[in-house]
Amino acid sequence: MSTVIKLDDKLKAQMADILETTDMALFVRTSDESMHDWEREKIVEALMRETVIDRDTAILISKEVEAEIIKSGIKMVTAPLIRELVNAKLIEKGLEDARKMHTRLGMPIYDVDQLILHPNKENANVPHGPEATNLTLAETIKKEYALLSVFSDDVSDAHMIGDIHLHDLGFIDRPYCSGQSLEYIKKFGLNLPNSLSMAKPAKHPEVLLAHMVKFAAALQSHFAGAIGWDAINIFFAPYIEGLSDKDVKQLAQMLIFEFSQQAVARGGQAIFTDINLYWEVPKHFEDVEAIGPGGEFTGRKYSEYIHHSHRFVKALFEVYMEGDGSGRPFFFPKPLVHITEKFFKTEGHEEFLNLISEVAAEKGNTYFVFDRGETAKISECCRLSFKLDENDLKDAKQPWRMRYCALQNVTLNLPRIAYKAKGDDSRLFAEIYRLMELAAKAHRQKKDFIEKLLSHKEKGPLALLTMERDGIPYLRMHRATFLMGMLGLNEMVQYHTGYQMHESKEAFKFGLKVIAHMKLITDRLSKTYGMRFVLEQTPAESTAYRFAKLDIMRYPKEAKDVIKGDISNNEIYYTNSTYLNNSVEINPIERVRQEGLFHPMIEAGSLTHVWLGEAKPSASSLSNFIKKVFRFTLNDQIAFSPEFTTCNSCGRTSRGLSDTCVYCGSSDVDGITRITGYFTKISSWNKGKLGELKDRYRNKAFINQGEI
Amino acid sequence: MGSVKIFVKPGCHFCPAAEKIGEILKSEGFPVFHYNIETPDGLAEAAFYSVMATPTIILEDESETTVAQWRGVVPQLDEIKSYLR
Ligand SMILES: [Zn+2]
Repeated sequence: MSTVIKLDDKLKAQMADILETTDMALFVRTSDESMHDWEREKIVEALMRETVIDRDTAILISKEVEAEIIKSGIKMVTAPLIRELVNAKLIEKGLEDARKMHTRLGMPIYDVDQLILHPNKENANVPHGPEATNLTLAETIKKEYALLSVFSDDVSDAHMIGDIHLHDLGFIDRPYCSGQSLEYIKKFGLNLPNSLSMAKPAKHPEVLLAHMVKFAAALQSHFAGAIGWDAINIFFAPYIEGLSDKDVKQLAQMLIFEFSQQAVARGGQAIFTDINLYWEVPKHFEDVEAIGPGGEFTGRKYSEYIHHSHRFVKALFEVYMEGDGSGRPFFFPKPLVHITEKFFKTEGHEEFLNLISEVAAEKGNTYFVFDRGETAKISECCRLSFKLDENDLKDAKQPWRMRYCALQNVTLNLPRIAYKAKGDDSRLFAEIYRLMELAAKAHRQKKDFIEKLLSHKEKGPLALLTMERDGIPYLRMHRATFLMGMLGLNEMVQYHTGYQMHESKEAFKFGLKVIAHMKLITDRLSKTYGMRFVLEQTPAESTAYRFAKLDIMRYPKEAKDVIKGDISNNEIYYTNSTYLNNSVEINPIERVRQEGLFHPMIEAGSLTHVWLGEAKPSASSLSNFIKKVFRFTLNDQIAFSPEFTTCNSCGRTSRGLSDTCVYCGSSDVDGITRITGYFTKISSWNKGKLGELKDRYRNKAFINQGEI
Repeated sequence: MGSVKIFVKPGCHFCPAAEKIGEILKSEGFPVFHYNIETPDGLAEAAFYSVMATPTIILEDESETTVAQWRGVVPQLDEIKSYLR
């Protein structure tokens, strides 16, 4: 709070209520020429408390500041002004560290004014409103705090100049994203630290759903990113038994509507939710004792509930097919269907594949996750999935233990590395290594910080994550993953080799070599630091724009040759992660195959987007496409993204993007499609993503030929 | 004549046998390329050919089209040679 105080006692008394004591004391000054209410000692106290300088220096500084204030003859001082005067003295004396520690965080009035009036375009999932403004204000201060206080200067500087991007700095006091098990709340009920009431394990499906929603909201306020739920249709199955088809449908509707409601939680953001779904009962859950109503074991295994898991998952997709009240696709929860060998051996899979393909063609919701061979995976954030190792398979016997998290994501600005390397391979690879070491350092610093917060246990800020209902802390730090993201591989390769990845085999192979290099470095860093570093395809909703903007300023000559989008109106971007150029006409199966060649090296999961635009493939050609992708490629995950126009006047939704409503002609319409890993209104997009949207190749010719 | 690509990894059980075959073929004048998938070049090449197991041997003709491949297994020398004629 930066307030100008005139020294009349009445105001002083009022302010005392608002301001904390120290600040108040620093503010105090008299209305006449004397400064008897001014307490110089407060400066000394603040310096002693907040920095590591000695008392004599602190006293000296306080006297110098005091002398300056008196000399200047100014009639009003504010706490921030005094603080900055002290900071100036610290700089004069070369006490840079002390100055940093003595920094005051905050925002200029102008910025706050802008923020309150205009929407935030960094995350299209945040609607504009008072809650969103609160979120942004808090994020701004926490971001500054993180850069000054959590990370070392070299890490913070690398972020600020755009060599790397530290994601979710505004959420510095939370882990990044997480994967959850419904079994936890089925078994332990809803018994959260600091909550007023405790709920016993649910006896009825609607109650279980209510617990899940409440728990998700609680988790959302402890994680920066997505909350993923594993095998939802399987874990709900014991509660479905005995319900009529109508009731099952109703439950499916409730689940989807609950998670798609906007403005229910943090900053009015919808809870970024993924639900993982299976047609088969995955091998690692087959013989697991099922938990049913009341948190009791039912005496049967999950494999015996397959019929009910089918009923539920089919009902969910029927709801997705219908869309929301105005026929729009549900933005959340995102359904991730796992396609495995066993999927194709499970009865009814043809019909189910057709259903989810129809939903993909019609509304786009379905994510197809390909788990080939024997590896089981669970998917978490935007596209973050974890392959389950031996220990995880042991955990699967007690599925409530299966909760995972990624602590942070740090992304490398690949094109800039190429600009710096000036065509020299060894400089390019050396710079990648340098930045990955720096990213690992950032991860260690975040880990230390989160561990400090967790050390306060149930009395601390992350109480929820430390609860030990099953004997171990809810957040299993030893299983935490640290993500190494990449952005603009295509532009890096283009600058370095003269060709984009789709233009030459050599260029494509060079792209593979860069990612291979990065993959081997993460393995080495994991061994060195005893932490689990993995590559991730950064969703880069705002980073693709941020890096492009910074590079066009810092490396204009180099960047202008490779940057994508429209430089003249600033709609510029780099191609996301390891993707091929968005605008080129490539047969979709070939794009899926080629992009998929990167996927085995990117352990935290990958995704290929197939943009559909206006055209609508048939369910049967789409399901054939899925089979081909499973059999003949190594692609990890694909999603099909149609585009829609929804009308705010008549409330109807049509296919494709248009300026006016096709039903009533109104121009009060919103465009809807996927920005990165989720659907959202285009009006909320940043300029970089708008540039990308114009470029997207929408596969029309191939859809018309029935290739998809 | 095309080429023989051999993908190996340190410590893999059957890799020495595959490498041996490579050496014999090389001594007989065939163009043989060895890739260690724990190096960036080797891993990149393995990714390009979707190699998911070691050892893997891939034969290509002049136009870089795959003629034959053995993934996770080591063929007899004669078997490989039958494709190289
Ligand atoms: Zn209308």
